[in-house]
Amino acid sequence: MDQSTSPSVLQVENLNVSYGSFHAVTQVSFDVKAGEIFGLLGPNGAGKTSTLSAVEGLLRPQSGTIMVAGVDARQKPLHARANVGVQLQSTSFQPELSVSEILKLYAGIHGVEMSTQRLAQILETIKLQDAGGKKFGQLSGGQQQRVSLVIALIHDPRLVLLDEPTTGLDPQSRRQLWERMEDLRDKNHGILLTTHSMEEAEAVCDRIAIIDHGKIIAIDTPQGLIEKHRNDAEVISASRKGKITLEDVFIGLTGRAIRS
Amino acid sequence: MQTTIPSTSAVLSSLLRADFTTQWRNRKSVILVLLVPVIILISWKGLVDKLGGSFVLSNCITIGLTAIGLMGYSNSIARDRDKGVFQRLRVAPVPSWSIMASRLIVQLVMILLVTAAVFIVGHQVDKITLSPAGYLFGFLAAFVGGAVYLALGQVIVGLIKNPETVNAVTRLVYFIFIMVGMFGELGMLGHELGEVVKWSPYGAVKRILAASMQPTTWTNDSTLSLLATIGYTVVFTVLGIKWFKWNTK
Repeated sequence: MDQSTSPSVLQVENLNVSYGSFHAVTQVSFDVKAGEIFGLLGPNGAGKTSTLSAVEGLLRPQSGTIMVAGVDARQKPLHARANVGVQLQSTSFQPELSVSEILKLYAGIHGVEMSTQRLAQILETIKLQDAGGKKFGQLSGGQQQRVSLVIALIHDPRLVLLDEPTTGLDPQSRRQLWERMEDLRDKNHGILLTTHSMEEAEAVCDRIAIIDHGKIIAIDTPQGLIEKHRNDAEVISASRKGKITLEDVFIGLTGRAIRS
Repeated sequence: MQTTIPSTSAVLSSLLRADFTTQWRNRKSVILVLLVPVIILISWKGLVDKLGGSFVLSNCITIGLTAIGLMGYSNSIARDRDKGVFQRLRVAPVPSWSIMASRLIVQLVMILLVTAAVFIVGHQVDKITLSPAGYLFGFLAAFVGGAVYLALGQVIVGLIKNPETVNAVTRLVYFIFIMVGMFGELGMLGHELGEVVKWSPYGAVKRILAASMQPTTWTNDSTLSLLATIGYTVVFTVLGIKWFKWNTK
């Protein structure tokens, strides 16, 4: 699908986030279009989480504009959040609640009707038809991830934020999630994905932004990034097998030093 | 495109259902919160004639309120914050105040339960009978007094992020409040410490409870205790909200 003409479901312009005197995000601008998987990549502490948190409304940026499906997230945060489905990286649900109760809770707070029939249908879709009564903590990593994703999508949001969703998953579960993401893209949802896996970014992302030290240093398609930087000395020196990969470009642009 | 957000009542009703279910699944700790004041009430049966029914009832209710605010509320907040439960709720179209309001409503019901349990056991076992107005004002005073301890719990989770540390600190504060409060009220800690206890959150709450249960005995001192209680609540609430962070990162 050609996304260049699609409307943006997320527009971030000149975003600035600071913690005291530390500038975590500086003048960050990008957009995510409907029917696009947009990857936000960066080393630890580069500003990914701060950017994502600002979009999610979990922190108040110092300045900048965030428009979600045409709604100004700073002016109307609840309206903006109603258009966003979020799968947080480190999230949990009340451990006393069963999967069915969690689904009902999140349907309720999104204003979605959840009949017994609809609940059964959702559980069947995520292959957890027998696990409705189980507690979230009793599920495997892959099952937890499927529940988290279905909750993120329970209100059919136009923008889906996935924060390192495949961390800790086995290859089967990871592939299944990639297919789910592609399915969402085909249904015209916009997806903002953060990941440390270059393989994942290359496999599913239509465009990628690389963020480092709070600034976006490159935005392009995975192939476009490789083509643009394949002759950079740092990228060539980062290459391990002769063939330039997205990871080589990433290391070349952000450096080899380990970030805390 | 028009975006609609769910009504506040729908959001609150979903949150309340989940929070009450959580509380029900934690019924062992609910029973413990009920049990401590009830056991003290039963063990003080012989002191009712000496100290007065309202003195005994108000002490027991104050102990229950302390447990609710310090241990029940603050520990559940600290744990859920640490697990990221609040962050998950806050990315939904939910006003942040509604998340806390739902938690507080659950605690208000707990206050209702503790007060009712103390009144029932007091009547059945200790043969303490109050006038209808005494029971009514007793419940009202329990809500006012309970607010002090909920606000104090909020201060503790505002100051301390680690849930285990919150658990340890609240137990310690609970123990100190009960021991110093009870012995101070009974005049066993000397005059000066007795005065401190009298105007402490424990003493102030205990006295408005006692006076509310016998409305005809309400004095200027009771009014000053009520003002002190409201003052503590306001100060603790302001500090608790100011220092509170929704995540532990």
